[in-house]
Amino acid sequence: MTRALGWLTVLGLVAGLVAGFGYAPREAVQGNVQRIMYLHVPAVLTAYLAFGLVLAGSIGYLATRRPGWDRLAGAAGEIGVLFTGLTIVSGSIWGKPTWGTWWTWDARLTSTAVLFCVYVGYLLLRSLIEDPDARARYAAVVGILGAVNIPIVHFSVKWWRALHQPSTILGPERSPIDPAIGLALFVNWVAFTLLFAYFLARRMEIARLEEQT
Amino acid sequence: MSACAKEPGHSAVSSYTKRAWIILWKDLLIERRAKENANALLFFCLLLLFLFQFALGPDRERLAAAVPGLLWLGFILAGLLGLGRSFLGERENDCWEGLRLTPGDKSAIYLGKLAGNCVLMTAVEIILVVLFGVFYSVDLWTPAAPLALVLGLGTIGLAAVGTLFAAMTTQVRARELLFPVLLLPVQVPVLLATVSATQALLLGQPLADVAHWLKLLAGADLVYVTIGLLTFEFVLEG
Amino acid sequence: MPANWGYVFAAYGIAAVALLTYWRRLARRARALAARRAAKPRAA
Repeated sequence: MTRALGWLTVLGLVAGLVAGFGYAPREAVQGNVQRIMYLHVPAVLTAYLAFGLVLAGSIGYLATRRPGWDRLAGAAGEIGVLFTGLTIVSGSIWGKPTWGTWWTWDARLTSTAVLFCVYVGYLLLRSLIEDPDARARYAAVVGILGAVNIPIVHFSVKWWRALHQPSTILGPERSPIDPAIGLALFVNWVAFTLLFAYFLARRMEIARLEEQT
Repeated sequence: MSACAKEPGHSAVSSYTKRAWIILWKDLLIERRAKENANALLFFCLLLLFLFQFALGPDRERLAAAVPGLLWLGFILAGLLGLGRSFLGERENDCWEGLRLTPGDKSAIYLGKLAGNCVLMTAVEIILVVLFGVFYSVDLWTPAAPLALVLGLGTIGLAAVGTLFAAMTTQVRARELLFPVLLLPVQVPVLLATVSATQALLLGQPLADVAHWLKLLAGADLVYVTIGLLTFEFVLEG
Repeated sequence: MPANWGYVFAAYGIAAVALLTYWRRLARRARALAARRAAKPRAA
């Protein structure tokens, strides 16, 4: 089952690369650097999915005390941090030729960096507790707080700073995107979601086996 | 008959607040007798004064411009020290089991501890504000009332999460490292909001201008305290 | 507008390395666990 998912993921990633480099046109204003968006945007969307699952797993464990929920939270947290890191790095690399600097404290980058720090702390907490029940409970509390805090962070940073270009995917004001670019983004997003699901399945399985040995 | 029917509801609420009050009173009493936390934190504030002055150099204007940020940096540093120790007394004196075995809603303990921490942090803040006003020659008296509101809201936000995480990390290895690592990222919105609002107020802007920050702080405080109340019992187990 | 392919390849390259490394880490842990379970006699 996981194997099939793995192969499907490979297929998706290849399709994503083809769409991003072969099919999508070179963007008028930013040039080829814009192609990094086919990596950056799916990565951040997947990260949000991951942290949503951390929230779900955290609440699920506190409500039912079934270890499966904690395995979900832990695995999703680990992979979420990975994808958030990728988001930041790809965003930074995109920023250098575009804005002339490796880092700016604009709204989106700052929010993502804060998100990264919150969940690295989450993983750190998990690594420091041996007792599975205590680990699950404490991690759940942090997981819930971290997730609920995300919109609060978003607004506070946004009001604090307004440099980043208005979001063309998740923002309310939609400036028209070239449909070819839109399609490439969509394909890559699907590919990343498949990759996430694959990683999640394997990571949860490892956690399950570790508890048994 | 009707008195008995009313009684259970009434006594549940009053017993809850009574338990929270007992925790608060106990901590204040211990503090008043031992004075360890208060004295050390007081001195810490004084040290911060020197630290910031030396870090930013003799330029008076640069320091004055940085005051809102420094003020909150000072609170947070003091908070990391003071809040992290919220449950140290219980842990060191083997009272943790006593907390765990308290009958009824455990969140009353959280509320009591939160109140105690707010009192502590408020004392620290008043001292820092006075010290800043005197040593950095910044007028903090004119905007005192709106400033107090901002400080109050920020304090609740800091203490709400700090108390919860303090309870958690008391039981964990490397707690002195883990507590700041967990607390600081979550406190970013509080920091941004309070510093921005403080800065505006110190520049003489009216309270209405920072209304959005106040609303954010109030909303965040509500969220943090609610989560604290709801999840504290899970932290207290085991 | 310069081609800037360097940046594009850098971003994709880093992503590929990171994801592949994580995948291999998962594979290695799974293998180690499977080996440990095979080595242990069936628990009664």
